[in-house]
Amino acid sequence: MAVATYTSILEWINFNNPYDNPFTPFLSDNLPYDIAYGLWEILGGTLAWLINLLFPNNVVSTWLLCDEVCVLMSMLVFMLLIFIVAFVVVLLNLWMERKVLGRVMDRRGTMVGMKGFLQCVADGLKTFMKENTIPSKVDKMTYIWCVSLIVGLSCLVACMVPLSDRWYVVNYDSGLLIIMAFYALAPFFILVSGWAQNNKYSLIGGLRAAELMISYEVPMLIIIATTSLLCGSFNINAIVAAQSEIWFFIPQFLGFIVFFFCAIAECERPPFDIAEAETELVEGWQTEYAGMKWGLIMLGDYLRGSVSCGMVAIMFLGGWTIPFIGGTAAPEIVFLIKAWFVFFLMILVRGAIARVRPDQILNLGWKVFMPLAVINLAIVLLLKIGGVY
Amino acid sequence: MAWTYLDKYPKNLAKSLWIMKPVITVTKLFFKTMVHRPVTVLYPYEKEWVPDNYRGRPGLDFDKCVGCGMCARMCVTQAIKLIEVDDDNGNKVMRPQVNIGRCAFCGYCAEYCPLDAMTVTPEYELAEYTRYDLLYGPRRLKYDKTTEGMKVKLEVTLPSDVANGNPERRVCIFDIDKPELNDAKCIGCKKCAKSCPVSAITMVEKGVNDKGKPIIRPEFDNSKCISCKNCVDDCPKDALQIKEVL
Amino acid sequence: MTDSLVPVLEAQEKMDTDKMWVIWGPQHPFSHGLWTLKLKIDGEFIVDADPIVGYLHRGWEKETENRDYARIIPMTDRLCYCASMTYSHLYCMTVEKALGIDIPEKAKYIRIVADEVCRIQSHLMWLAAVGTDLGNLTVFLWAMREREYFLDLNVKLCGARMTTNYPRIGGVRNDTTPLFDRDILRTVERFEKAMWDIIYLIDDSSVFVSRMKGISYMTREQCANLGLTGPAMRGCGVDFDIRRDDPYDNYDKVNFEVPVLNKEKKVGDTYDRYMIRIEEMFQSCDIIKQAVQKINAIGKNAPYRLKTPTKVPAGTTFGRLEDPRGESIMYLVSDGTDKPWRLKVRSPIFTNVSCSKAMCDGIRIADVPAVLAQIDMCLGETDR
Repeated sequence: MAVATYTSILEWINFNNPYDNPFTPFLSDNLPYDIAYGLWEILGGTLAWLINLLFPNNVVSTWLLCDEVCVLMSMLVFMLLIFIVAFVVVLLNLWMERKVLGRVMDRRGTMVGMKGFLQCVADGLKTFMKENTIPSKVDKMTYIWCVSLIVGLSCLVACMVPLSDRWYVVNYDSGLLIIMAFYALAPFFILVSGWAQNNKYSLIGGLRAAELMISYEVPMLIIIATTSLLCGSFNINAIVAAQSEIWFFIPQFLGFIVFFFCAIAECERPPFDIAEAETELVEGWQTEYAGMKWGLIMLGDYLRGSVSCGMVAIMFLGGWTIPFIGGTAAPEIVFLIKAWFVFFLMILVRGAIARVRPDQILNLGWKVFMPLAVINLAIVLLLKIGGVY
Repeated sequence: MAWTYLDKYPKNLAKSLWIMKPVITVTKLFFKTMVHRPVTVLYPYEKEWVPDNYRGRPGLDFDKCVGCGMCARMCVTQAIKLIEVDDDNGNKVMRPQVNIGRCAFCGYCAEYCPLDAMTVTPEYELAEYTRYDLLYGPRRLKYDKTTEGMKVKLEVTLPSDVANGNPERRVCIFDIDKPELNDAKCIGCKKCAKSCPVSAITMVEKGVNDKGKPIIRPEFDNSKCISCKNCVDDCPKDALQIKEVL
Repeated sequence: MTDSLVPVLEAQEKMDTDKMWVIWGPQHPFSHGLWTLKLKIDGEFIVDADPIVGYLHRGWEKETENRDYARIIPMTDRLCYCASMTYSHLYCMTVEKALGIDIPEKAKYIRIVADEVCRIQSHLMWLAAVGTDLGNLTVFLWAMREREYFLDLNVKLCGARMTTNYPRIGGVRNDTTPLFDRDILRTVERFEKAMWDIIYLIDDSSVFVSRMKGISYMTREQCANLGLTGPAMRGCGVDFDIRRDDPYDNYDKVNFEVPVLNKEKKVGDTYDRYMIRIEEMFQSCDIIKQAVQKINAIGKNAPYRLKTPTKVPAGTTFGRLEDPRGESIMYLVSDGTDKPWRLKVRSPIFTNVSCSKAMCDGIRIADVPAVLAQIDMCLGETDR
C-alpha cells in the first residue's frame, strides 16, 4: 500500500466505491452503507494518517485501512445510522401525535422549543434522570429482561423496515414475513412481564395483551398472505415494484381497512390499548416500570407504531414510488411522507373513538376482520384468476 | 313532548358507517384549528378579559378605612386580622391585614365593608416564594386602578318596604341597623366609646345614683355610626344590641 | 342443598383462589377524587364490589355549627365544586324556610338561571369524565371547552368561576350585571349548536355506544331500595324530579319537560343513564331562556335581596332540591341563636355510590369506568 504518496485523505482507503471491496455485505446499491463507508473513509483515514505521522509505516495504520476492517467499521457506522434514522422518525411521529392531537382537541399541543419538538427530548431526559426503581417483590430477571426484549425487538423490527430500494438492512426474499414475525414477538414478552411484575393490574394487562394478539394476528397474516399473493413475492422490493402502476390500496380496499386497524392494534395504540388501559388498569403491564425502563418501553411502542405505518405504506400505498412517475430523487422522503400520512390517520382515529373493550376486540377480530380478510382474499384470487394481475 | 336529543338518538349506526361520523367531526375541527387558532390561550402571555366584579385578592383604600373590623368579623377563613400601623400623619391606627394563603376569595370583606374601603380586585396571580410573603399588609393591599364596579355594595330591600308597596327602595344595612342600649344593664364602663372606630359614641352624664356617683351612659350619634357591632361585642354586660330594622 | 355440602362449599370458598380482590383507589385514574372501589373479580367478570369513601372527610357539618348563618354560604360552595350554586341555593332556601320569609320574584328567577347554568356546567364536567373514562381525551377537552363558556357566565354574574358564593339568605348577592341577559342567551344558543359536535363524537360512534349499551341494568325497584336519585334514576324509568314534583323557587312557573327513559320497561342500562343527562342539558337551556325572559319582564329596579334577621327561630327545617347529581337535602336544627345547632347534608352521591355493588354485578372490568362514570362522583360532598 502506497502510504507515502497521496493527494487526499480519501485515497487512504483502498476502494472508493464500497462495492469494489470484496468483503462488502451488500450486493446492490445501499445508500446508508455508502454514507457509512464514506464516513469511515474520512474518520478512519484521518486516524490512520495521524498515527502514520507519529509512527511512519506502522502496523495500526495499515490495519485500520485494510479491506476487512473498513467493512467492519462501516458496518458499525451503518448500524448507528440506521438506528438514528428510525429514532428520529419516531421522535417526529411523537411530535406529530402531540401537535395533531392537540389541534383535534382544540388546543395547541406541546409548546416546548422548536414548535414543541424539544418536548420529546425533555421527556427523554426526564425519564433518563429518574431513579431506577425495582419493586422488591418482582421476579427480577424476567422483569428486567422483558423490557430489554420488548425494546430490543421493537428496535430491531423498526430498523428492518426499508425506507427505499436503496435504504435497507437486509433484502430478503421473505422480507415481509420476517418483519411480521419479529413484529408479532413483542406481545409474548408483554405477557411474561405482566406475570413477572407480581401485580394484579400488570397481570390483567399482560393477559389482555395476549387476548388482543389472538384477535388481530390471524386476519393480519391473511392480509399479508393476500398481498404477497397479489404480487407473487414476499420480497418488499417486489411488492413495491408491483404497485408502480396501481396501488394495492385499490384492489384490496377491504384489506387496507382491516390491516389499518390491525396495525393500530399491533402497536397497542388507542383505541386498542386495552393492555395499558389507564382508567381500568392504571398503566396495565407497565405499572411497575418506572424511569428509564418506562421511557424505553414508550419508545418501543412508538417504534412499533412507525413500523405499522411503514408496513401499511409498503403494502397498500405503493411504498416509495409515485404512480406514473415511479422513482424520485429521494424515495426515502416519499416513503416517510406516506408513513406519516398513515400515522396521521391513526392519530385521527385515536382522537375520534374510545377504547374498545377486550371482548369486543375478540368479536371484532374474529367476526368482522376475519371474514373481511377472507373476502379480500377471495377478491384477490378472482383478480388473479381473471388475469388482472 | 319535544325532545331535542332523545328524538334523534339512539339510532342505527350502521347507516353512518359505525365510526365515520366522529372521525369526520374530528377531522373537520382539525382543519378548522389549523386555519384559525385553537380556543386555548397561551396563558402567561395572553390573558382573558375579566369583568370589574372579578373576585381576585382583596384591595383596600387606606384612607377610607376606619378600622372597624367588619371584614375580619365576616371573613370565613379568619384570613383577615386587624394590625396597628402608622397612617400618613404618624398616628397609630388599626387596619386589616390579609393572609392570602388562607383567603377563600369569597368577597365577603368587600361586600360587608360599611364604607366600601375594601374592594375586590382583578388580581389573581398571587404566588410568592414564602408564606410570609403571602401576608398582605394594609399598604400592600392598595389597588390603584379601583373602579366603581369593584366596590361591592350591600344593598337590601326591607321586607316592610315590600309589604308597603315600595319595593324599589334599597338600603344599606349599615345605614339602618343601629345599636340600642339596655339601660338597666349598663354599668357605664366606657368600653363602647373606646372601641367605636368612628367616635360615634360619647359618654354623657345622666344624673347621679344613690351613692352620689355620676351615672354615665353612652349616647349614639346615628349619623356617624356605621353599625360595625364593635360596641356590642365589647360590652361586658351585654347591655348593647343591634336593633335590626326589618 | 343438603347439609353435608355446606362445609364443602365453605372450604371451597376459602380455597377460592381463582377469584381475587382488586383494589381501585384511592389513587387510581378512574376514581374522580379520593375513594376506593374494591372489586372481586373472576377472570374478566366482577362478582363483588365494595365502595369505600371517607378519605376526604373534613368535618364540614361540625364546622358549620361554629359559624353564623351568613358565613356558612361560602362553605356550601366547597361541598362540590361543580354544584356550588345548587348547594348554596339549597342552604339559603333551607334557612329562608326556617325564617319563614318569601324572597323576591326576581331573586327566584336569578337563582333558577344560576342553578341551570350550574347544572349544565356540572353535566359537562361529567361528560368530560365519561370521555376520559372510556379512553377518549377529545370528548374531555371539547366538553371542558363548552364548560368554560358557562364558567365565564358565572364570572360575569358574580365574579368567580366555581366557588361562586352567590345566593344569599333572602335573595342573591347582586343584581344581574348589565348585558348579562344578552351574554347568557348568546352562550346558550352557541352551546345548543356546539353540543351536537360532542354528541356526534359519542352517540354516532359505535365504540362509545357499544361500550355503554346493555351493561349494568338497574330496575326501578333497585333504584328505590338503594336510594339512587337524579338522572341515573330517571334513566331507569322512575319519573321523579323535585323541580317538577315538589317545585321550589318558581320552578313551577317555567315550562320544561323532565327527561325520563324506559317508563314501560322499568329497567335501564348505562346508555340510558347517559342519555338522560344530555337531554337535561338541552332542557336546562330552555329553562334559562324562559327565566331570562321573566327577569327582563320583572324590570330593573325590582328587589333582589331582602333583609333578613340574623337569628333564626328555634325549630327544625327540611329543604331539598334537585342537584345536578340527584336529590340533595339539608336538615337544619336551629336553636334561636345566630348559629345553627346542627346542619345535616344529604349528599346524592353518597347514596348513589352505594349502588355501585348493584351496578357492578356481573359486568366486566373494562365496563366499570363506564358504569361508575354515570354516578358522576364528587368526593367533596360525599365525605363532607
